[in-house]
Amino acid sequence: MSIIIETPRSPRSRKSANWEKYGWLYMRASGAVLIVLIFGHLFVNLFTGQGIKGIDFAFVAGKWASPFWQVWDGLMLWLALIHGTNGMRTIVNDYAEREWVRKTLNVSLWVTCAALVALGTLVLFVFDPCVSKDLLSPAMWQQICSAK
Amino acid sequence: MTTPKVHHYEYDVVIVGAGGAGMRAAIEAGPHAKTAVISKLFPTRSHTGAAQGGMAAALANVEEDNWEWHTFDTVKGGDYLVDQDAAEILAKESVQAVIDLENMGLPFNRTPDGKIDQRRFGGHTRDHGKAPVRRSCYSADRTGHMILQTLYQNCVKLGIEFYNEFYVLDLVMNTVDGVERPSAVVAYELATGEIHVFQGKSIVFATGGFGKIFKTTSNAHTLTGDGVGIIWRKGLPLEDMEFYQFHPTGLAGLGILLSEAARGEGGILRNSSGERFMERYAPTIKDLAPRDMVARAMANEVREGRGAGPNKDYVLLDLTHLPPAVIDEKLPDITEFARTYLGVEPYTEPVPVFPTAHYAMGGIPTNVKAEVLRDNTTVVPGLYAAGECACVSVHGANRLGTNSLLDINVFGKRAGIYAVEYAKTAKHVPVPENAVDEVLALIERVRNSKGTEKVATLRKELQETMDKNVQVYRTEDSINESLDKITELRERYNHIAIQDLGQRFNTDLLEAIELGFLLDLAEVTAYTSRERRESRGGHFREDFDTRNDEKFMVHSMAYKTGENPKAGEDIKLGWKPVTITNYPPMERKY
Amino acid sequence: MATATANPAGKASAFEEMGAVPSFQVTLFVRRFDPESGEEAKWEDFDVQVHGTDRVLDALHKIKWEQDGSLTFRRSCAHGVCGSDAMRINGRNRLACKTLIKDLDITQPIYVEPIKGLTVEKDLIVDMNPFYEAYRDIKPFLIASDKPEKERLQSSVERARFEDTTKCILCAACTTSCPVFWTDGQYFGPAAIVNAHRFIFDSRDEGAELRLDILNDKEGVWRCRTTFNCTEACPRGIEVTRAIAEVKQAILRGRP
Repeated sequence: MSIIIETPRSPRSRKSANWEKYGWLYMRASGAVLIVLIFGHLFVNLFTGQGIKGIDFAFVAGKWASPFWQVWDGLMLWLALIHGTNGMRTIVNDYAEREWVRKTLNVSLWVTCAALVALGTLVLFVFDPCVSKDLLSPAMWQQICSAK
Repeated sequence: MTTPKVHHYEYDVVIVGAGGAGMRAAIEAGPHAKTAVISKLFPTRSHTGAAQGGMAAALANVEEDNWEWHTFDTVKGGDYLVDQDAAEILAKESVQAVIDLENMGLPFNRTPDGKIDQRRFGGHTRDHGKAPVRRSCYSADRTGHMILQTLYQNCVKLGIEFYNEFYVLDLVMNTVDGVERPSAVVAYELATGEIHVFQGKSIVFATGGFGKIFKTTSNAHTLTGDGVGIIWRKGLPLEDMEFYQFHPTGLAGLGILLSEAARGEGGILRNSSGERFMERYAPTIKDLAPRDMVARAMANEVREGRGAGPNKDYVLLDLTHLPPAVIDEKLPDITEFARTYLGVEPYTEPVPVFPTAHYAMGGIPTNVKAEVLRDNTTVVPGLYAAGECACVSVHGANRLGTNSLLDINVFGKRAGIYAVEYAKTAKHVPVPENAVDEVLALIERVRNSKGTEKVATLRKELQETMDKNVQVYRTEDSINESLDKITELRERYNHIAIQDLGQRFNTDLLEAIELGFLLDLAEVTAYTSRERRESRGGHFREDFDTRNDEKFMVHSMAYKTGENPKAGEDIKLGWKPVTITNYPPMERKY
Repeated sequence: MATATANPAGKASAFEEMGAVPSFQVTLFVRRFDPESGEEAKWEDFDVQVHGTDRVLDALHKIKWEQDGSLTFRRSCAHGVCGSDAMRINGRNRLACKTLIKDLDITQPIYVEPIKGLTVEKDLIVDMNPFYEAYRDIKPFLIASDKPEKERLQSSVERARFEDTTKCILCAACTTSCPVFWTDGQYFGPAAIVNAHRFIFDSRDEGAELRLDILNDKEGVWRCRTTFNCTEACPRGIEVTRAIAEVKQAILRGRP
């Protein structure tokens, strides 16, 4: 006869896909890309042209008229929100002791994240700069809206 | 007081102790027989892990060497009290023992061509004493740590069953076919206070030493000689108990071990005037003389007023001439000990050192098959012992450095092999009805004792008297003083009181029980030291300061004869001849 | 503390200080828990007279041997090689036998409590089984199919690759200093990964892929947040966080 020492915790499951690894990789990859995107974004917005004073509806409209900036800002939106949400998830996992609290917080986090990403993407690609002639300079109106 | 729950188990091989010898035995026994290892500690906490310098084997990886030279060194190092047939086995099987460990994964330091590297160590010489030889296989200065980890790793691999933090307190014997045989061991579980009876066809004791009978010691707090004490209380003999090794280089005042490897790598011992005093005591191999000689030389320097420090009570181990890179690569741990515990930087300052009680050459007598003896020749069938608790005797009157890690591997392995061989043919010896009574009585006696004496006080007084009277230098008077003190302490031990009366993790209770073993073993050590009226190896009598081969070229065999309050009066002493094969005793000069 | 002034030279060793100033008094606050009393854990304070070279373990022994025999803790070798006495001293995981009292701020009480993240069984003793289980889970033994007659060859450079992680004594100081382990006991923890590292990078071992697969688990190396608590806690000076990072890289590479 022998003593079987009780397992003090449940055996680790080995079947689920390895989200932790992809999460870890994602955080590093997105972090590196975001450094370029964010500093590029800040540089263009703050240092080129008239700097901060130049930022208005027209400035945004001008940028988003170009597919280059649409993709740039879109990438920034997706990468940053998912990066931040995943970071929040690890903090929740660290601090939430009860399973239901953890689950609730995590679910609401990802729902919020999905909503923000969806809204942002929507705005980015269906944004209409031609709502009023007052918001754009005549030259820009001519360039962007005259075709419509 | 409620009687604790008693559990019963049946195994083929029961191994007591999970240090190097116990786990090495388990690795042999586990795959072939139902094996349990019972240990008072988690296996990797065992004191094998504190061994530093290396493990001797004549691999001849870096220079010419062979097992015959190793045998000679072992015999001569042991001042000819070594059983030469056993030493021959030790030296011959050392090569395979090292290869076994490497194959199990032990990360030895390597030579430039990738083989196991070897270094010099005290008393190991080429061609019968001509010059130091590189024989010690090592892993930095944590060879014991690596051996312990590697053995445990392999036990995990083999799925060996361990019962950790179970204190074995008794061996149950029973007479079958007119022969008294071991039947089971009784253990106290630290976590619950419950009693466990492990019945085994073969029982292996690998319980380590008992350095805690001394105050200044390199031994762990847990080395209280429980296993040796149990055998003693059964009326079985203990061999050569007067031979206790004092390691020369303990950190002064603390006793923490600094490996002989420090001297193997070129470290030098100096007195207060900076003199390399070992040149006077051992002109040929100087600082690499055997431990007993170096320890005595150091004690003598201090006695004659040449000690260093404010109180002139230690000597200095000088490593400052070694390049820091060598120190970092080969002696990282011990230099860190000097930094941590004494605040000394070994790169630039010499380290204060003084002898520290280190290793019991004596113990449970066994033959070369690790079978325990009940007298000079008769075997106790099914009972085995290996490691420091045993006396084969391969160490004789003084053990060479690196031979103990070798001993646990060679004789641990043998114990495992022969224990399985025996278990294959033997039946379980019935466990008597009253098997646990002695242990229950022991526990209850301590728990209910309503005296005023404190365990710690008694232990401290015991250790102090042993340090003062039965250490490097001994005389009839000093030994008698210690025996009188032990008599007094034994009486006071009947009036101890413990404070923790709980069942769970009651270390207060166990320390009290351990003190009982320490008192017994100190008594035997002092008694046999008195009766050996000569000086040999680690045993030095100022009143008989030479070796006397005519009278004392024999092992002492001490038996407990009954109860007598006066220490020494309950011991019967016998002598056992030394096995001599090739090396007739000669004067021991280095 | 008074000893500082005794040696104006500054470079004097602790040993000389020991001769100069015999002892000083410190207060220890020890976290006590008696499983048989039914009471919650609580702090208890003890005043102890200690010596210049005394360690926290010596102070605990003084309490146990002179004041309260029921104070319970694990210890064995008392010089930092057996790994029995990891505990939280002044909020940091250390070995009690390697922490010299004079190196702590002794004008303040010294706080001693059990390591965190494992169930406390009594006073400073915790249930180490989950820790050992994680260790056993990573297959901590050499996996090799060859049966050499002599030693396997290994160069010093190959050995150096994993030398750091062979120093582990399984004291649990690292694992129980890890915030991820505190909240998720399922995480393998630094010590298990260190011991996996010891074999993954051993040139003689053939089980790297297996171990990398085990540690590629959702409770494996990816949970590590590189807070460096483990490296700071390791009494053996193992660069634990670095070892974990090397295992992560090995998983991404698919080989050691």
